[in-house]
Amino acid sequence: MRRSPFLMLTWSSLKAYFRNRGAIFFSLLVPLMIMGIFGLINFGSSTPSVNIGVVDQAHNQVSSTIITSLKSIKAVKLHTGSLDSEKHELQQGNRDLVAVLPASAGQGSTAITAYYNQGNPQNSQVAIAIMNQFVDRASFAFAGITPALTLDSRPVQSRNLTYVDFLVPGMIALSIMQTGLFGVVFTFVQWKQRGILRRLMATPMLVRDFFFSQLVTRLTTVALQIGVLLAVGYFLLHFHFAGNVLYLLIVGIIGGGIFLAMGLAISGASKSEETAAPIANLVSLPLMFLSGIFFSRSNMPEWLQTVTQYSPLTYVSDALRSISVDGASLWAVRGDLLGIFVWLAIAVVLATRLFKWEVV
Amino acid sequence: MSAVTQAGDSSLATQSQGFAIVVDGLRKRYGSLVAVDGISFRVKEREIFGLLGPNGAGKTTTVEILEGLRGADEGQAIVAGIDVRKDPDKVKNLIGVQLQSSAFFDGLSLLELLDMFGALYHRSVDAMAILKKVDLTEKAHSTVTKLSGGQKQRFSIATALVNEPQILFLDEPTTGLDPQARRNLWELAESIRSEGRTIVLTTHYMDEAETLCDRVAIMDHGKILAMEPPDTLIQALLDKGFHKDRVERSANLEDVFLDMTGHGLRES
Repeated sequence: MRRSPFLMLTWSSLKAYFRNRGAIFFSLLVPLMIMGIFGLINFGSSTPSVNIGVVDQAHNQVSSTIITSLKSIKAVKLHTGSLDSEKHELQQGNRDLVAVLPASAGQGSTAITAYYNQGNPQNSQVAIAIMNQFVDRASFAFAGITPALTLDSRPVQSRNLTYVDFLVPGMIALSIMQTGLFGVVFTFVQWKQRGILRRLMATPMLVRDFFFSQLVTRLTTVALQIGVLLAVGYFLLHFHFAGNVLYLLIVGIIGGGIFLAMGLAISGASKSEETAAPIANLVSLPLMFLSGIFFSRSNMPEWLQTVTQYSPLTYVSDALRSISVDGASLWAVRGDLLGIFVWLAIAVVLATRLFKWEVV
Repeated sequence: MSAVTQAGDSSLATQSQGFAIVVDGLRKRYGSLVAVDGISFRVKEREIFGLLGPNGAGKTTTVEILEGLRGADEGQAIVAGIDVRKDPDKVKNLIGVQLQSSAFFDGLSLLELLDMFGALYHRSVDAMAILKKVDLTEKAHSTVTKLSGGQKQRFSIATALVNEPQILFLDEPTTGLDPQARRNLWELAESIRSEGRTIVLTTHYMDEAETLCDRVAIMDHGKILAMEPPDTLIQALLDKGFHKDRVERSANLEDVFLDMTGHGLRES
């Protein structure tokens, strides 16, 4: 009776994998933990607020009106105090802007002096803009002038995307990368060291059968991870999933192939775990932080955005995000898919060049 | 040499009748280091042949070439009638390889592992029968991690028997075992040979080679220094006038140890 070595190897390594409860637990626990922590911190949803310090030297009706109105602005955290103490806070970086309402406020034309924090120009600009607008409006009011133009803003109900909606697809992409890279690197280097590869090579086993059986095993675990992260995101973190799970799996599995091949390349290029782990970290850490996993890449300097848009993890996480949040089709993310396939080709070439079936 | 044999055009193949292995002028270099320096030897069918030598003598490289795991630079090696340099995969089908590290997929039982190894030879195996041969039926459903040192070695021999090989390669099979387990493994080797298989053994234990091997080859610096039955080599040394400072008594400490602790295997 002829039996398929490929099927038997796949079945054996799947069994071995799923019996190793500890490994499964940790391969799921780590991404879940990261997702939980970042989901709780909830970076995205907190509206950036500016700290404005007001030094009230007038203590009259005009100055108190100004203070009350400033307090009513949501994006402003208002502090009051003496000139010295507020300036000190400004130097400490606790204020973005300190405005001084002189004693003459409300009597004729008054100059309001504003000190701002040069260390945080973005927030200072916002604070200055708020103060400017405020000063203009206050002047019109005091002078009894009706402004020629007014802004009538109306809220529109959006899909109300939260940080979790940004985070969950990113975390799925991240765990695909980690499983591919580290799963392969550690197992293969260990098998090499323990002589398992050598023992298998002493049988008439085809390298191709072994290679593909490992590919299938890893991609199965990737699919499992996608499922668990998606479920936890959906049921516990209120992830607004609007897409097609099948598309998500397809992109995840093809993307997983990139990192599996990279893992093979790394384990081929390194002789021991001691060298393999740092190389894998050297690849994964920059990708993790530069591919828009935890934070949007739009916060990066322009040049960095340009560079990081070509990262393999950016392609994967962007595609996963479009599919899960915007309900995009595979055709709609074809740009990202093209990037994924190019990287897959590069990684496969690297893997075949670097992975050695040396028996030692 | 006009006879045409099934092994093809190799002239050595015509001489391989009655021999499990025929090696002629085998050479392997690693850069400037000559690991195997043009060695020639023959292993008879149903023989237990020992390959002895200090570390770095070239034993492992020689064995790996014969097993089809490593290429050679020069020379010929006919293993089980097949030119291993031309068709290593065909040789792999006819031989069994036991390696020093009996490390396997964690989490699979002995039965499952034997079943998997069988599939690598496109065979469906009677895993229980193989386990019976190496006296491991009680551990059939355990994983390798639960085995004692001797049991691990016996299991690693079991995986080398799934394809009913003509030639079995044993790589330091008793390293790290207690005297009882070593004797147990020697018995296993004898019983495998009695099934009509040839055994090529590498070992650092001279008592092991003396007990088990019909003939031994002593290697150093990539060359074979001598190749004779152990008794012949010992007699040759004595004939040169060699004598030990301390005359061996007819029993040694190992005999005392075994007398006190018995021959029974200690493993649970």
